[in-house]
Amino acid sequence: MNAERRIWGQLRDDPAGLAGLVVVGLFLLVAMAVWLGLIGQDWSAADGARWETPGPDHWFGTNILGQDIFERAIYSVRTAFEIGLVVAVSSTLLGALLGALAGWYSHSWVDGAILWLKGVLDSIPFYLFVAAVAFALQGKGWAMHVAMIATFWTTTGRLVRAEVMKLKTREFVLAARTIGLPDALILGRHVLPNTIHILLVQASIAFVAAIKTEVILSFLGLGVQDGVSWGLMLAESTQEVLAGHFSNFLAASLMLFALLMGFNLLADALQDAFDPKQASQ
Amino acid sequence: MLYALRKAVYGLLLILGVTFISFVLMVWFGPDQTYTLVGKNASAEQIAEVRHQLGYDQPFMQRYLDYVTDLFTLRLGSSNASGEQVSRILARTVPVSLALMLPGFVLGNLLGIALGLAAARRRGQWADRLISALSVTGMSISFLVIVIALQVLLSTPYGLNLFPVRGWQVTDLPSYLSYVAVPTLSLVLVTLGYNTRFYRAIFVEEAARDHIRTARAFGASPTVVMWKHVLKNSLVPIITRVMFSIPLVVISGSLLIESYFGIPGVGKVAFDAITSGDQPVLKAVVGLTAAAFVLIQIATDLLYRLVDPRVA
Amino acid sequence: MSRLWTHTRIAWPPVALLALVMAVAGCKPERSSEGPEPAYRVYRHAMDGAPSSLDPTHASNLYANFLAVNLFDTLYRYKYLARPYRLEANLADGLPQVSADGLIYTIRTKPGVHFIDDPAFPEGKGRAVRAEDFVFSIKRHFDPATRAQGAWLWQGRIVGLDEWKENGADYDEEVPGLRAVDDRTIQIQLISPFPQLTHTLAQGFAAVVPREAVQSYGQEFAVHPVGSGPYRLLSFNSAGAVLERNPRFRQEPFSLEAEGFDPDSQGGLGLEELADRVPPFADRIEVEFIAEDAARWNAFIAGEVDFIKVPVSQFDRVLASRDPPTLSPDLAERFRLNANLESGFVHTDFNMDDRQIGYHPDPDQQIRNRALRCAIIKAFDWPRRNEVFYYGIGEVFPGIIPPMTLEFDADQDRAPVLRDLEGARDLMSSHGWHAGNLPVLEYGFPSSVTERQMFEQFRSFMADIGYPQEKIRPLTYATYGDYARAYLNREVMLTTTGWTMDYPDAENTMQLFFGPNAAPGTNTANYNNEEFNRLYRASATMQASPMRTAMYRNMNRMVVDDCVTISGISRTLILLWRRELAMLPDRSFVGGFFLRFADPESAGGEAE
Repeated sequence: MNAERRIWGQLRDDPAGLAGLVVVGLFLLVAMAVWLGLIGQDWSAADGARWETPGPDHWFGTNILGQDIFERAIYSVRTAFEIGLVVAVSSTLLGALLGALAGWYSHSWVDGAILWLKGVLDSIPFYLFVAAVAFALQGKGWAMHVAMIATFWTTTGRLVRAEVMKLKTREFVLAARTIGLPDALILGRHVLPNTIHILLVQASIAFVAAIKTEVILSFLGLGVQDGVSWGLMLAESTQEVLAGHFSNFLAASLMLFALLMGFNLLADALQDAFDPKQASQ
Repeated sequence: MLYALRKAVYGLLLILGVTFISFVLMVWFGPDQTYTLVGKNASAEQIAEVRHQLGYDQPFMQRYLDYVTDLFTLRLGSSNASGEQVSRILARTVPVSLALMLPGFVLGNLLGIALGLAAARRRGQWADRLISALSVTGMSISFLVIVIALQVLLSTPYGLNLFPVRGWQVTDLPSYLSYVAVPTLSLVLVTLGYNTRFYRAIFVEEAARDHIRTARAFGASPTVVMWKHVLKNSLVPIITRVMFSIPLVVISGSLLIESYFGIPGVGKVAFDAITSGDQPVLKAVVGLTAAAFVLIQIATDLLYRLVDPRVA
Repeated sequence: MSRLWTHTRIAWPPVALLALVMAVAGCKPERSSEGPEPAYRVYRHAMDGAPSSLDPTHASNLYANFLAVNLFDTLYRYKYLARPYRLEANLADGLPQVSADGLIYTIRTKPGVHFIDDPAFPEGKGRAVRAEDFVFSIKRHFDPATRAQGAWLWQGRIVGLDEWKENGADYDEEVPGLRAVDDRTIQIQLISPFPQLTHTLAQGFAAVVPREAVQSYGQEFAVHPVGSGPYRLLSFNSAGAVLERNPRFRQEPFSLEAEGFDPDSQGGLGLEELADRVPPFADRIEVEFIAEDAARWNAFIAGEVDFIKVPVSQFDRVLASRDPPTLSPDLAERFRLNANLESGFVHTDFNMDDRQIGYHPDPDQQIRNRALRCAIIKAFDWPRRNEVFYYGIGEVFPGIIPPMTLEFDADQDRAPVLRDLEGARDLMSSHGWHAGNLPVLEYGFPSSVTERQMFEQFRSFMADIGYPQEKIRPLTYATYGDYARAYLNREVMLTTTGWTMDYPDAENTMQLFFGPNAAPGTNTANYNNEEFNRLYRASATMQASPMRTAMYRNMNRMVVDDCVTISGISRTLILLWRRELAMLPDRSFVGGFFLRFADPESAGGEAE
């Protein structure tokens, strides 16, 4: 039985994981619909009254400007996926690359340099680092992406490094080396594909972390600059909840929770599926 | 001896790296404080004057060298914004952050360990499932959402209205408890999911080890096995996790909690320093945090060697 | 047995949390009823921002000024109750004697005024305040080492002061135009008449500091103030400041008449009962800096502070009517309200230095640019802006003379602030503007929730005249300082700023559009109209007169006609305080000067 079928089978028997997959899938569909311009396009129009209560015209009510909170919450799905995907894919790839290099050339200067970089990044308090990057790239919409990618890769890097050091001693790798295949080819063809289970799990964890970080950064004024996101909606809600307007808060936090929960369940299921030994214990 | 030397060199390199990155990001590309310091209708000449005083007109290498020398000689200087000595700012704010973070940190970890043990003990049963489900739920809620919700529920007329809504007017034990309650609860809720899952994984792995199985096979009671063997053997990862959190608890504080609740701790001071470009304050906070991290890495390493001589 | 063990493991964490909550719940401090002894009167003031420095030379914002005038003495202050605002002698013993040509000001200080005791003085005893101290305090603004922010008030105005700076700012060197004639006499000699001089002496910037303390504390003077004001500092950090009555503050009984009391509008506040008592009335002042609106409001409602500037988000709940603003009945039982029109205004300037929207070497393009600016102004929906962000109680007015000034013209044409979408579209099409060739507008703002909402609202207003959404871009800055750097370097096309007046004279807003004040000066629009500049120069040396008012109004029309700024609105501030407190707080020129008159004990307010 090949690995994919086995993993799929595992996932099918895991109701929580399946639920997670469905939730993430639904959100992805919404994000694509927003991308295609089918829904959520009126997030900016201020055509309602201030703080309308939910009703047939505005399902989730309106915010202070009279903008439709439902439209904004829906459009934010796209924002979340943009941030989540960019950060998850880039940081995982970067982690895979640096981790593989460090593991392959372990205990050489390459390894040393990469470990040093990881040590340095881990030693700067996360939010201070992110805030500083956001400043250095003042006003650029992608400042927070860069900040997150620059810090999120370290965990993936550590795990991949350990895995590559293990794989290095395996027969098929040794064989490839004996017949003189170049290092890059061995790494790319034989070693990295065998770390895919780490990468998938790490990517889904990074996705969750990216969305959660966006919320905090947007609250601090360092996040999304143009557009709307759940973080911006929550930041807005901090000025509203104590005056008794809960629409922004509820819409953003519930959708945020649903997506994060979906991803967390999926990540768990993936982890179990990839690591049957641990799951069966 | 050689080992100690190697560690020292590594630590030094690490600190140099941190100072370099923080210098480039926070100082060289960081905010220009000139415009918050000049008055209305400032002339180009006055602006140049202030820039000169702040040292902004110096070349890159000169500024970096000054930065590093100040840090290594612990010449922390005075805040550009208020003129207060940085050492005094730290002496004023670090204890506040510590008092703010410690209860939540301790509670979050103790509860995490307790729940982790309970889950590992009943692995696969409903209790384990329940705890796992709850910890995933906890991990899926944003910090900001928790903070907002707890504030509304516990400190406003929309909820129970039990605690002060914000601030830090701490004069005695009751006032301390009342101000620290909501932040502590937030901190516990936000970390509990992660802690529980982390500790559960450790305990599960430990419980699966051969010597534990042996102990069980020889009829040791599950309670004894859990306490005596599993917990004891899991001490190293537990201590490591706790130790690595120390710099964050002690030096960096919690930016979000401090700024949301308006608490004058070091996290807020550091963030304000970044956004306003208050270089002396920044230097001290980032430098000291990095130094603490390095010391802890070394200490952890030593700990591993003590516990398990094979690690080297 | 082991099963039970498992159960308790699972059950106790929530129980423990609950126990913690319950144990601590009883501890919410009931601070309103406590206090060391009944005679000790504490007044607790909430402020929506925090000063970073208490050095008077850094008192550039409301918050720093508020504390500076209480910790230190100024020669003049504003009368507590007189409206419009009028000057009153403070440390000075009367208004200045001015020479006939308006160039020489002679000021006598009151006798027997002492600085507070401080280790900086010999034997720790505060010495008498001398005229020399005032001279020193003003010189400090011209000493680069101080990084002072108030020099612009006196720059180019006092004989020899600018030269003193150029010669190396040596405090022992005398400035001919700024002298202490004797211990109690100050003489100021001006280069040309400066009718607003006395007003500048009522600002925190002009507060009197002792040289010994500045020298002994150096930079730390900013957190270790030593002055002769009504209060002295007990503690200060980013969360708040605690002040204590200065026992040596001069004894001057409170006079309703001298402070400009108006029984019709100010009766019933309990102020009458304060007559002849000696301020400062409070023994201790606790100022809490609470930037977040909601948190500040909750602290107030919970009784943790006695005074608040009500956040707009609470106006709904606080006000029973808008015009005039009255307090809703349930709150009226506990609080009193004062609606205070701000001494300033909010406006959005076009950067005239930007060729895409402002001045252009090609005269035709210059005309087209003006048409575009005018169209944008016509499309701006002031009533809606007012409704959403100021609860509809702000005062919208055309131009740059705010309603609270004496020079304001209530009868002027309001067309420039009325929305005219059709007119805007016509103006655009007749000048060849269409969605395809409109320039990308870069709208700058410091990243905060409200500023972002204002930007989004602006964008939605512009959508109504067909300005494409993607052509109006936000330029965000993480702090106000960074935003200021950008617009002072003329990098921002649309700059929204609020101006708070330094003194009640429209000259202070006229200078915002004076050509030579262009960025990095306060003229952020970089407006440069020769006729305007000429009138400004001519009016700047004039005392208030109908003629000067006519000149101001003329200049105002130029700014409106040239479509330089989307302006403006003066916010109405709603101030609320506990009924029991006999006081009339103010956020304008009286500002911090009111603190000495705040009486936390007198029960004069319990009318019902």
